Amino acid sequence: MQVVKNSFLRDLIWSLRGRFRMKTLKQITSAMILVVAAVCLPATSFAELPVPSHIIPPTGEHVGEDVPQPIEFPHDRHVKDMKINCMYCHTYARRSKVAGIPPTSKCMGCHKIIATDKPRIQKLTEYWEKGESPRWKKVHDVPDYVHFTHEKHIRKFVEKADFPVEDVQQVCALCHGEVREMTVAEKKKPLNMGFCQRCHQANGGPGDCWKCHK
Amino acid sequence: MSLKNVLENFSYFRQDAESGGTHKYEHRFGMAIDLDICTGCNSCSTACYAENNLPVVGKERFEKGQAMHWMRIERYWDEQEFEGDFAEQGAKFMPMLCQQCGAATCEPVCPVAATYHTPDGLNAQVYNRCIGSRFCSNNCPFRVRYFNFWSYYEDSWPEPLNMQLNPDLSVRDKGVMEKCTFCIQRIRVAKDTTQREERPLKDGEFLTACAQACPTNAIVFGDTMDPDSNVSKLWMKHQVQRGPFTHKKEKANEELRGYRVFEELNVDPSIMYLERVRDTEV
Amino acid sequence: MSLKVNRRKFLKMLGWGGAGTALAGCDMPTTVTLEEGKEEVVSYLMPEEYVIPGIGVWYASTCTACEAGCGLHGRVREGRVLKVEGNPSSPINNGNTCLMGQAAVQGHYNPDRVTSPMMRKGGSLQNVSWEEALAELNKRIGADSGLKADKFGYVTGTISGHQSVLVDELMEQVASKNHFVHETVNTTVWNAVARDMLGDETPKYNMAKAGVILSFGADFMGTWGSPVHNMGEYAKFRKREIRGVLVQVEPKMTLTGGSADLWVAAAPGTEGALALGIANFIIDRGWNTVDVPAEVRSSLKQYSLEAVEKLTGVPATKIKRIASLLSERGPSLVLAGASTTNIENGYDSAASVMLLNLIMGNVGETIEASYKFPEKSLRPKQGNTKDLLLLAKALRDKKLDVLVTYNVNPVFTAPDALQIREGLAGVGFKVAITSFPDETSLLADLILPANSGMEEWGTHVPAYQPEDSLLSFQQPLMEVIHKESKAFGDIMLSMLKMRSSDFNKFADYYGYLQTAMMNMPGEGTAEERWNSMLQTGLLKASGSQTALTPRLVDIKYDVEKGSDDYPMHLLPSPRLGMWDGRHANIPWLQEAPDQIAKVVWGSWAEMHPKKAAELGVKNGDYVKITSASGSIETQVYLHKGMHPDAIAVPLGQGHEEYGRYAKDRGVNPMKILDPLMEKRTGELASFATRVKVTNAHKFNLLIKMGGSESQAGRKLVRTISSDVLRRTEGEV
Repeated sequence: MQVVKNSFLRDLIWSLRGRFRMKTLKQITSAMILVVAAVCLPATSFAELPVPSHIIPPTGEHVGEDVPQPIEFPHDRHVKDMKINCMYCHTYARRSKVAGIPPTSKCMGCHKIIATDKPRIQKLTEYWEKGESPRWKKVHDVPDYVHFTHEKHIRKFVEKADFPVEDVQQVCALCHGEVREMTVAEKKKPLNMGFCQRCHQANGGPGDCWKCHK
Repeated sequence: MSLKNVLENFSYFRQDAESGGTHKYEHRFGMAIDLDICTGCNSCSTACYAENNLPVVGKERFEKGQAMHWMRIERYWDEQEFEGDFAEQGAKFMPMLCQQCGAATCEPVCPVAATYHTPDGLNAQVYNRCIGSRFCSNNCPFRVRYFNFWSYYEDSWPEPLNMQLNPDLSVRDKGVMEKCTFCIQRIRVAKDTTQREERPLKDGEFLTACAQACPTNAIVFGDTMDPDSNVSKLWMKHQVQRGPFTHKKEKANEELRGYRVFEELNVDPSIMYLERVRDTEV
Repeated sequence: MSLKVNRRKFLKMLGWGGAGTALAGCDMPTTVTLEEGKEEVVSYLMPEEYVIPGIGVWYASTCTACEAGCGLHGRVREGRVLKVEGNPSSPINNGNTCLMGQAAVQGHYNPDRVTSPMMRKGGSLQNVSWEEALAELNKRIGADSGLKADKFGYVTGTISGHQSVLVDELMEQVASKNHFVHETVNTTVWNAVARDMLGDETPKYNMAKAGVILSFGADFMGTWGSPVHNMGEYAKFRKREIRGVLVQVEPKMTLTGGSADLWVAAAPGTEGALALGIANFIIDRGWNTVDVPAEVRSSLKQYSLEAVEKLTGVPATKIKRIASLLSERGPSLVLAGASTTNIENGYDSAASVMLLNLIMGNVGETIEASYKFPEKSLRPKQGNTKDLLLLAKALRDKKLDVLVTYNVNPVFTAPDALQIREGLAGVGFKVAITSFPDETSLLADLILPANSGMEEWGTHVPAYQPEDSLLSFQQPLMEVIHKESKAFGDIMLSMLKMRSSDFNKFADYYGYLQTAMMNMPGEGTAEERWNSMLQTGLLKASGSQTALTPRLVDIKYDVEKGSDDYPMHLLPSPRLGMWDGRHANIPWLQEAPDQIAKVVWGSWAEMHPKKAAELGVKNGDYVKITSASGSIETQVYLHKGMHPDAIAVPLGQGHEEYGRYAKDRGVNPMKILDPLMEKRTGELASFATRVKVTNAHKFNLLIKMGGSESQAGRKLVRTISSDVLRRTEGEV
């Protein structure tokens, strides 16, 4: 891209790079576009996910690095187009601290029949036939000294709040961003202590250090 | 705790330990260790290594006193026996671990508040907050805080030994102080379960690794705030109470076996020991 | 402020600079929170039953760290076993574990495991495939190998259950009788005495019922019988309405001795005389509850208080006190362990000790009939050292062409004088089925990597059955770590298939075991029984109970005289933790201080300070210990839990191989033992060797836990007398 000519802008961009630890020009420009979009185009062509009324959303944005995955899994196709619930695949979220990557057999449950001609599905089938699972890269990862549990958050914000499970993606989006707009997952929220802490304070979460640190 | 909060509730926050402190306890976990049936076998200590990702430091570092045994069995010989020919009453064993003091001396000296008191009555150490000043361990009368002088993870768990590491708590790096946590990861699991099932914590629902392993069940663990727990009953039976030191002579029955090590320092330890018994007739 | 500052550095600055900006700090993009794309996450291929990532699942199994057969629960998360706890429904350990059980995971994950079959080619061991290994084995032991029956030998440790059945099958197929069952830590002599005098080798010792336990060197909480069970019983014994009293007579304070109310050091090797002296005094006073034949009475006369005091060095007042304790505080229980039984006249001294049980009427009271597992072929073959001596003889006489060893290490555990190493050189083909490259395995021609105890199926029938007879069930707690290692049962089946086609119907040991277990009688359908076994880890079978038949044996007791050249007694003492040296490769156990001496990561010799003063040595000084068969040099630790005429060197260290944690660390006292034999049972008299101890004029700091031996008046461990206890908590 040739747009970055103004030296002031370039400085701004490179300082942004430092601030958010972005590596490539592509990231920077996409971040710029995002900033511009956020500032200038409040009403975009796609409808934003509503924030559930019973939650004060955590504040903080983050522009994550591109994380190449073994298969470029299209979340948008599955979530937006196919209307598959997050917890259909990430089934452990309501039972365990981790949401879990679905077992390959679950993918194959549909893709034995559906879209078998697509290269990504063929790659998946290859894995399946070898008896291996793809080695995915973790995108939303918290440091090893942090204890985070999906189960408790789902219980508080979905089960206890009588929030309709079919809309669970609105809750997920608070920390994971609008995954329905992504192919492979990108980190859109900082997931750092301030982010967590602000939400805990606003929504009455625990404030004891050892609740979250280990 | 914001400044505003401190200013508004100043008289509450300045309560000292003798007047109950400023804690809103959910639980106060404690122990009773019966020295009469403790055989000094080391099972508890090894169970602690297994549960809490304790590194093995090796001979040279052990020599320098850098061992990381959160729970250690101290062995003393009887003083009188320095005169006699034989140790006729056997050895004296004492499992020594963090006493989770109610008025802990380690807490106020931490410059970064990495050690603090949890609502469960524990002296917790937040590892990622710790900067390694070691003030706390210097201030501990029990010598139960252990400092990571080295990056032990580099050579303590060569592959595939690292597969045993407990994912419920972190592996500590060089420069971090660590200590017994009363198996806080087990407390967390138990509390999560009770929260999910919406019921109070049952006595004996979970035990610390040491209490669970102990072949003689000399270690009794539980919530001292729950009057029906085994540990509370033992504390009551031996007339040992939370809070400041009461001299044995002030007790209704001064011959009872319960005591807390160094309780005269007014640190309010959460572990009651029961005196070792020897038959004098023999 | 640099943005690369990480959280700890940031807090460091914050710490000195005040806490004003604390919350703002939480939003710092720190190096540790931005971790996307750094770690991998791999899903299951198929969803596993019961498995939820992040949540631990418990599976029941059996501990194989010693022969007691404690039930375990293993915590498994994401396919890895992380921790073991005791199985609360096992009557052996009642939910508790000892340190060896806790540390078993480090044996399983040990970095020094044998990971591939190895074969000796041109003098050195080289990795080979299983096909090649088994083809070679077939050549040597297969049906067409021409192997002569008596030329085939098999060495194992204590073995029971279906593993034992398979070994028996193989021995039968080959028609060989050379199955050597070797354990260094054993109670063989005491068991033989129990068999002869009670009619049951392993009766139930009901410690909880006893008011006084008199133990002659029986370290029942450490290395005698079923330690975890015994410790549980000991706790009940101490918490009786009237607190039980423990009197321990031994030349070196063991773990059990450390808890004694009265610890007595009799001259090493004279414990039998002390027992007879006590018996004589009791009979003399008429305190015995069971009548004693006149001839026994008269033969005991020679053990008068004065004579026994002279012989044992135990003051007459103390002998009287022990005798009166036995009568006043009864019911009593009298036991004998290694220092009393593993000497040349060990049987007779053990019998002298057992005599006390008989005259005090303990049989049927604190010694009860035990249950034996109904299926005879599954009962344990208990290891001993007699078989070690027999093996040494067979090797010396060059009687063996093929020798298979399974998780035993006779090259390490046998005295050098038995020349096992040299003897093995004369065996045509040696096969080692082992998890670790130990001294014996590395001499083998073929090494077959065995699974760890947490990776395989198995059944164990413990020798000591505290309740109704029980089979402890072992199931894998995880997939094999090293894909080339195999279960012992599978290796046995492949060997059996080489001899007979009868075994072809079993695809693997799991199949064999399942068939066998489902065919066992019991309630419910076969499937229900199998499932309940998987769940509980136990199979309780109503066993047969043999009534005890107390009977006197002829005791020919006389104290051996040592030579003046070797005035001291060497005590190669086993300890809970290292056991016979098999756990020296486990770092946790190396770093777990010895219970009495508190020394870590090495060897030491325990001596009485008086004797040390004579030699001019102090803590940390090296001494040279010389027997007729060799010498070792090690540091001394001095304490008053020793008889001055004895020097104790704990077992476990002194490995020449056995992985990074064990290798070249300390000394092995077994090496310098004289090849003496217990006269009646043929056991190795491991506590009979006499040595000479000299100052080696060398010093090094003794690496041990705790600087101070004394409480320095701090009253950390307070002690009260039992009178006080009786007033406050005692008699109801």
